Amino acid sequence: MTVNLRNVRAIAGKEVYHLVRDFRSLYLAFAVPLLLILLFGYALSLDVENIETVVVDFEQTDSSRDFIRRLEASPYFRIAAQLPNAEAVKEALDHGRATMAVIIPAGWSADLRADREAAIQVLLDGSDPNFAGIARAYITGFIEGVNRKLLVEFLNRQGMEQIRPPVEARIRIWFNEDLESRNFIIPGIIAIIIMIVGAMLTSLVIAREYENGTMETIRSLPISAGELLLGKAIPYFLIGLTDVLIAVLMGQALFGIVMKASYWLMILASSLYLMVALTLGLLISSVTKSQLVANQTAVLITYLPSLLLSNFVFPVINMPKFLQLFSSVIPATYYINILSGIYLRNLGLAYLWPDLAILTGMFLILAAANCIVLKRGGL
Amino acid sequence: MSWLRIREMVRKEFIQLFRDRKNRPILVMAPLIQLLVFGYVVNYDIKDIRVALIDQSRTRESRLLTDAFTAGRIFRITHLPGTSGEMEDLFLAAKVDLGIKIPPDFSSRIRRGDTAEVQIIADGGMSNMASVRIAYTTIVIDRFNGELIKELYGRELKYGKIDGRIRTWYNPNLDSQHFFVPGIVAFVVMLISLLLTSIAIIKEREAGTMEQLIVTPLKPIELIIGKTIPYTIIAIGQMVMVTLVALYWFEIPLAGSVPALFLATCLFLLSTLGTGLFISTVSKTQQQAMMTTFFFILPFFMLSGFVFPIANMPTVVQWLTYLNPLRYFLVIIRGIFLKGVGLDILWPQYAALTVLGIAVFAGAVGRFRKRLD
Repeated sequence: MTVNLRNVRAIAGKEVYHLVRDFRSLYLAFAVPLLLILLFGYALSLDVENIETVVVDFEQTDSSRDFIRRLEASPYFRIAAQLPNAEAVKEALDHGRATMAVIIPAGWSADLRADREAAIQVLLDGSDPNFAGIARAYITGFIEGVNRKLLVEFLNRQGMEQIRPPVEARIRIWFNEDLESRNFIIPGIIAIIIMIVGAMLTSLVIAREYENGTMETIRSLPISAGELLLGKAIPYFLIGLTDVLIAVLMGQALFGIVMKASYWLMILASSLYLMVALTLGLLISSVTKSQLVANQTAVLITYLPSLLLSNFVFPVINMPKFLQLFSSVIPATYYINILSGIYLRNLGLAYLWPDLAILTGMFLILAAANCIVLKRGGL
Repeated sequence: MSWLRIREMVRKEFIQLFRDRKNRPILVMAPLIQLLVFGYVVNYDIKDIRVALIDQSRTRESRLLTDAFTAGRIFRITHLPGTSGEMEDLFLAAKVDLGIKIPPDFSSRIRRGDTAEVQIIADGGMSNMASVRIAYTTIVIDRFNGELIKELYGRELKYGKIDGRIRTWYNPNLDSQHFFVPGIVAFVVMLISLLLTSIAIIKEREAGTMEQLIVTPLKPIELIIGKTIPYTIIAIGQMVMVTLVALYWFEIPLAGSVPALFLATCLFLLSTLGTGLFISTVSKTQQQAMMTTFFFILPFFMLSGFVFPIANMPTVVQWLTYLNPLRYFLVIIRGIFLKGVGLDILWPQYAALTVLGIAVFAGAVGRFRKRLD
């Protein structure tokens, strides 16, 4: 197959003209990444703090009030209201005004003073399991912490020497020291942006020629399949790379999320992934030949899997086996792994080459499939 | 207004939609695939924590500690690296979630009555998962301390200890599917109704048949009704389909009433069809319409509390979510499915959906008529 650069330039020029004329599509190609980065940076977080808590204190003693004060002082809980009875608690949880309730029963401090186990009832709204799992861990940890203080008080009361805890955990967190979901979501969002811009936009470009009947014209021209594909892809490749640049710079400037590994690796990996996305979009376009179907197919096989099955925010390790297998054929899985290596783990080529190799393989297969489909279509 | 003309218009829409064979999989398969994939994907349950252990002490105490970790079956020791460097490699390759390093002087310090340090390393990559893993780790260590104190000082310390009895309501097993499957039902309905409406109108414009429609006796309002009824029917059909899958495949309990769910769906459709109409008035080509649709769907999706809790958002963004119909629909659909609550509790959401729906729809119709004139 020969590729004549002049033909490529002509097709690319026509595509650019389409893009510029259709100003809004172009502007949305840049607005979508901006919107996503802003949303994920400022608004969306999977971390749990300020759990809205309601308290029922049937005791109203010093120790129960002390417990509530400690709860309030913890950064994880926010006391929304003190309620008089259990019915009010049910109502607050039903309405979603609170997601946790702590009920201190009557006779609680008497139990504590008599050195018996004193039960506290905690009710959690389990509808959102991510939230409830974290909240449950926090409140358990909080109660263990209070117990440790009570133990010291008890020993002092008994006039015993203070026991030092035999084991102390020195916890260190690697890769995302502040435990902020933003730090892994913002790099991951780059993969989503490239898929949206790369695959969803290009999925329309050949289908449009078919719908408008201009595919016939193109067939009669001395243009090869490779030239058509290259010409169609190049403008979107540039848009995609610009989007990556926007995302990287915004992440850095607004949220202080900095790449730990080298820029060159980032450019290499992003270009490769972008090429996979573009060839995938073009393939969808020439197979479906209809813009609506192409768009829906692109949502189904590029956008949703990249969002859901790529370890972006949903851990693949928790999925059933068949979905894990499915996740291993999705380009975003490898790109997100590379991004996590570049942004969080500071990995170099030595660790990341398998992912890059897989992306290259995917690109070659898709490019070949594109040429075959177009040739069958008479080009 | 003539019902006959509307009926013919609706019939034409259906013929056009189903004549193109490629449209059929979109209408049936797309929602199903979305529901199935979403249903299985979103799972934050922490059932398995992969641990790399370096035990430099190799004593009874260190074994007790590792037993304390593995007893609950959540922690699973998958690797026994020889050095810290090897452990680091395991972390870099994301093969383990947690590292435990027990120093050589571990048991001698404990026996002396000193405090022994255990180094715990956690992969903070996915911070929400890491927070839970760290919390579990501290709980294990705290409990282990209690056991050791009992053993070291030879006495049962019966001090006033708080026993937290934690109960979880609405979704006692913290089953992710119970939370996300009703949500995806809402999402599927939105996706299709929004896009199909706008594309249906733009296709007329692209094909030049809009002009022909205008010269027929069809009035603008009849045109709008004729264009929206088919997609209302399709959206409701899809809603029924995905709800059945949710109930019988995922076995999500439907605790509340079906009529209340149906009412909410209709009110929600008012907003999405209205938005679809609006998009059709501001777009010239299908590509524009699809991109614009996407631009609407993204914030609708992200700012609805579907995956990301609204309570975590900054206040200004929280205000913005009040303009999002999906937000109300999600509260209703989850309330009906999981909590079994009805109109008596959810009426504010119903009211908001009604107001938003009428406002969006009326606004879009107004704009649409102006464009036709």
